[in-house]
Formats: sequence, C-alpha cells, structure tokens
Amino acid sequence: MAQTLLRRMNHTTTANGSDTGLQVSTRAVEAEIRDRADPRQVLADRVAQLYRQMPIAIGATFIAGAIATFELQGRWLKELVLIWWAIVVTFSAAASLLLYAYYRAADKVGSAPQWLRWLGIAALGNGASWGLAGGVFFRSLSDEQQVFLAFLFAGMASVGVPVYAASWPIFALYAAGILGPFFYVLLTFGNRLFVEIALLVPLFYALNVAIAYRLTQVFHSGYRLRHAYGKLTQDHRLLNQRLERQLVELEEARRQVEASGRKLALFAERAPIAVIELQPDGTVAEVNHAAEILFGYAADELVGGSMKKLVAPELHEEFDRTWRQLVTTRESVPGVKIRNPRRDGVELVCEWTVTPLVNFQKEVIAVIAQGRDITAQLEAERMKKEFTSTLSHELRTPLTSIIGSLQLINSGVMGDVDKEVAELTTVAERNGQRLLDLINDILDIEKIESGKLTLAPEVIAVDELVRESMVLNKGFGERFKVRFASHGDSPERKVHVDRKRLLQVMTNLLSNAAKFSPEGGVVEISTEDAGPSVRVAVHDRGGGIPEAFRTRIFSRFAQADSTATRQKGGTGLGLAICKRLIELMHGRIGFEDRPGGGTSFWFELPRHPA
Amino acid sequence: MPDRPLNRICYVEDDEDVQRIVRLSLERVGKMTVAVVSDPTQAIATMTEFRPDLVMLDWMMPVLDGPALFRQMKLRPDTSALPVVFITARASQRDLDELKSLGAAGTISKPFSPKDLPDQLRAIWAALP
Repeated sequence: MAQTLLRRMNHTTTANGSDTGLQVSTRAVEAEIRDRADPRQVLADRVAQLYRQMPIAIGATFIAGAIATFELQGRWLKELVLIWWAIVVTFSAAASLLLYAYYRAADKVGSAPQWLRWLGIAALGNGASWGLAGGVFFRSLSDEQQVFLAFLFAGMASVGVPVYAASWPIFALYAAGILGPFFYVLLTFGNRLFVEIALLVPLFYALNVAIAYRLTQVFHSGYRLRHAYGKLTQDHRLLNQRLERQLVELEEARRQVEASGRKLALFAERAPIAVIELQPDGTVAEVNHAAEILFGYAADELVGGSMKKLVAPELHEEFDRTWRQLVTTRESVPGVKIRNPRRDGVELVCEWTVTPLVNFQKEVIAVIAQGRDITAQLEAERMKKEFTSTLSHELRTPLTSIIGSLQLINSGVMGDVDKEVAELTTVAERNGQRLLDLINDILDIEKIESGKLTLAPEVIAVDELVRESMVLNKGFGERFKVRFASHGDSPERKVHVDRKRLLQVMTNLLSNAAKFSPEGGVVEISTEDAGPSVRVAVHDRGGGIPEAFRTRIFSRFAQADSTATRQKGGTGLGLAICKRLIELMHGRIGFEDRPGGGTSFWFELPRHPA
Repeated sequence: MPDRPLNRICYVEDDEDVQRIVRLSLERVGKMTVAVVSDPTQAIATMTEFRPDLVMLDWMMPVLDGPALFRQMKLRPDTSALPVVFITARASQRDLDELKSLGAAGTISKPFSPKDLPDQLRAIWAALP
C-alpha cells in the first residue's frame, strides 16, 4: 500500500517535475489518505459525537423550559403553560431514553444511519416544543415577556449549533422547529417592528445553518482523517511486524550462510588437495594451504597474479583456449591433467577439476580449481608398465633357451639319450612350458584387467574356428589319449569376434576337457543356436566339478585339486581369462553337469547376421 | 613364391644361448646354412658377404635394435630386398602390427619351438611374392 502511494508520488513528481506538480501530488496524497477511511466508520463517529452532545441539549431544554414555565405562567395561561411543560418533560424523558438505548446498543457502526434518524426526530421534537411555545404564548405575553421569549429562542437556536454541529440537517430541522412558528407569529402580529424582526429571522436561520453546515464538513473531514491515519498506523504496525520477522529470518539465514561459509572455508583450508579460487579473468583470488605446500609459493605470491604462473609455459596457449571455453560454457571440467611448475622449477603433473561459480544472472563470478598431484601416481603407472614389459621380455628370453634346448634333446635331433635322462628332460621341458603358460596368463589377465587389451574383431564362421581349435589341440589330446569330435556344424553360424582370442578360449576349454577326461575318452564339441546367440559347448566325461569349487571356478588361481594341477599342469588362470575374454566379446560363459557324468563348459556369443 | 627352396639364413641376436638353439634347430632340423651375428652393427657387413636368402632379426638388442637395423637395411641397395623375419619376446598386438608396417615378411614370437622353427620359416618363405 505504501508502495502504491510512493509509486503514485514518484509518478506525479516525474510527470510534472515542478513545484506545482509537487503541490498537486501532496493534495493527491491527502485525498488518497482520506479515501482510505471507511465511510461507515466516519458516519458512526459523527453519530456518536451527536449523542455525546445530547445531555447538553436535554439539560439545556429542561433548565430553559423550567425557567420559561416559571416566568410565563400567568393566571389565564397557567394550564396551557403547564401542559407545555409536560410536553417538554416528556420529550426530554424520551430523548434520555433514546440516549440510554444508544449507549446500550451493541452495533453502533452498522446501525448508525438508524440512530441518526432517531436523533433527527428527537431534535425536531425538541425544536418543535419551543416552536409550540412561540406559536401559542407569544401573542398573549406582555412586552417584557415577549423580549424574554425572543431571547430564549435565539439562545436555544444558538446552542443548537455546537450541539448538532456533527449533522447540519438535524440542526436545520431543530432550528426550523423553534423559529418557524415564531417567524409566522412575528410576521402576522400587525406591528411594523415585529415584521422587520420576522424578516431577519430567516436570515439569522440561514446563517446558523450555514455555520452548522461548515462545522459538519469540518467534523466529517476530521473523522475521515482520524480513521485514515488509524488505518495507516495499523498498516505501518503490520509492516513493521513483518519487517521485524523478516529481519529475524534474514539474520538466521545470514548465520547459516556464515556457518556453511566457515565450514566450506575450513574444508578448502584443510583439504589435502590444492584449492585455488580464480577470478573470471584467470587472476588468482585465493589459495589454500595445500596449494602453498604443493607449489612452494606463499599465498600472497600467487594472489593477484595470473594462474599461468602455475602452468608450464608451452601450455599457456592451450590454457587460454580452455579458459575461454570454460567461461563461455560455464560448465565444470573434471580431470584436466596439466604440467605445473613448482617454485623451484620442478614440474609436477596435477589433475584438476575446474568449476565455474555462476550467479543468478548466469555470469561467472569465480572459478574454483581443485588440483591433485598425480606425479607419483603416473610414475608408479609407468613403472608398472615397464615392469610388465620387462617381465615379459626378461623371463621369456631365458625360457626360450631352456625350453628350446630341452625340445631339441627330447625330439631326438641331438641323437639318442639314455632313457632315464630322457624322462628327466621331458619333465624339465613340460615344467618350462608350464612356467611359460603361467607368465603368458599373468600378462593376459593383467592386460585385460587394466583395460589395455584391444580386440581385433572380424566376422568368422564358428564351425571353422572349432575345426581350427581341434587341429591346434590335437597334440594335447594325444598326450592325454583323448580324441576330439564335433557335431552340429553349420557354415551359416557367424560371429563378430577376435579370432585369436576366441581360439585362446577354445584351447583352454579343450585342454581342460582333455586333462580331466579318462584315457581313451572322447571330448565332444557341439555348436547350436541359442536365441540371438550361438552356443558352443565342450563336453567331457571327467569326474565333474566338486560342489565347493563351483562358485569360484572362474576366479583367478582357482583350481579344484592341487594334486591334479601338479600332475596335469595348468595355471589356474585359464578359465578366469576365458570368462573375461568372452565378456569382452559381449558373450557369456558357464558350465553344467552332463547327463551321464562329466561336465559341459559352454559359451554364447551374439550371432552376426549372415 | 621364390623359385628356390629356403637355404641360407642370417640371424642377428645378442643372446648367445638363443643363438646356439636357433643354429642347432635350423642346421639339424631344417638342414639350412646359418650365419649368426652377435653384434648388430656388424650385421650388414655379414649380410653383404654371406648373401642370405632370409634374415632373422631379434627385436631387443643393445646399441642397435631390430627395427633400427631393419631401417638401415632398407637404405642399402644390397640389403633392401632381403626378406626379414623378426623374432621377439614382445608379443603385444601393437608391436606385431608395428613390425608388419615396417615391411617385415613375418614374425616369430619367443619362446619358439626349435622343432617347428624351420617349418615356420619355410611357411613365411613360401608366402613371399
């Protein structure tokens, strides 16, 4: 409401922009304030004012009436005067009853017009009772008594002005009641002086009514202002209360913000990672303790300077580009690896997460960079890679000599050797081969788990691959006196896989089956459709998978029976590698008991549309 | 496919034990003539003199590794046309691809089987244009 007022004030001021304009606006404001008063309230106040004056009217009428009765009663007029007195007393009593009823009334506001009408009737009655005195007694009175009565009328009419000032029509009725009959009597008396006085009466009446009218206006305006300001005060109080409440809430919010600010500052300050706050132009605004330690600069050496101080010079151009992009897109950039020179010149590699802080207008107000020193981590990764590479080379080279030498002896190329010696060199060759398998498997699984194994998928016919794997593992089968047989071949079944890696899986499954099959047995390989996939299964007639081993059969270094391992070789990594390879080729692998004894290992791969 | 059988092999390898096994394998099993070079910097001189049908290079050697030696061979008219087979303990697909891209005739990974080595080489020889 106050806002509307101010807006109006502002509006008129700017519209006119002059002193007159201001005056107009002040008047407009006053009018507006007055208009805020409830007219019903204003009327009720005026009615209350009138009723408050009633005791004066009643008292004055009673006393003046008593004096007049005492003064006017002559011998022949005695009854008439007493009747008149009785009328005055009755009217006074009725007026008193009205006053009493008004004060007892519960709703003075709603029924104010009604109370006003009753008061008008009472006033008219009061006036008329004096008029009656004038009309009836005046002609019969002595000259002195006529002067007395005229004086009394004038007095009573004058007293009515302040008494009925809150409503000029009531005064007009009241005064007309007194002066109307008196005017008529004077005009018709037959005396020139009285006619002249009679002519003055309406003038006198009009003047009084005019004064009463003016007074009524003043009262009306006064009450309106009173109510308007009362309402303003109430609004003001409500506004104040609301403001106070908001202040309390604001204070609470401020405390919370301050607390979280302190918490955040504490996090940033104590965090083990470097936290740097930057201005949108790339100037350092704040750095935490970890950043000071990491880069060897004191905070005040960095604050106010460019962030580029901490970026390798050859990366400055790239930094500018990235920074522009960051400020434009306003999106956080995680995992940025940059070389950062320390104060002593040593270059660190840090991984940064850079987050722009944006205000409600979507403007970047600051950028928070959180950096972690990953130099040691990268070095460790490099060393691990180097170690793997070294392991691969340095172990394979001597194994080449060992296995190669033994193979040359065992193959008979070097001539016949003693039977017992040959047995030993065969054992040595087999175990050399086992060691080599283990190294290859460890390297494979390391490569798969570090995500460094890249597949070279091609579309191949499943039955061709099965045949190839059977040829490749024929020697292995012969060693364990086991034959491989396939069924269900169909050249239509094609898959999109890494051929060499799938052969590796087949070799693992076939060699496992051969190892655990009874001598002279047959390992069967079946190929069939399984929904959208092709299912290849290798069935043996071995002893089955022990219950306790089933859940971890595809885990690393899982072997059911270490005695069997020693006897038959195997690294315990084969099935773990198979599982990972098949999954890398979007397939799945599993096993089940074979009806009639033995186990079926199977894998399924998505069929490639022929 | 070359019109003559594979016979003369020049093998550059710094590890003496592997040298011996390869020599035995190729001579005894494969019945081939072998010249072994321990010092890769002397390899080109030996090749020029020995005039092999095929050259086997070890990948990792001190001073001059297999690929570097191969590049040198390519620069010389008397060795540039010789088919080269790399023998390596590094077996990653990327390494093998790299060797192929250098123009190698084939690769054999360590450890190899001395029993099968001559046949492997003959298969590569047969696949040559």
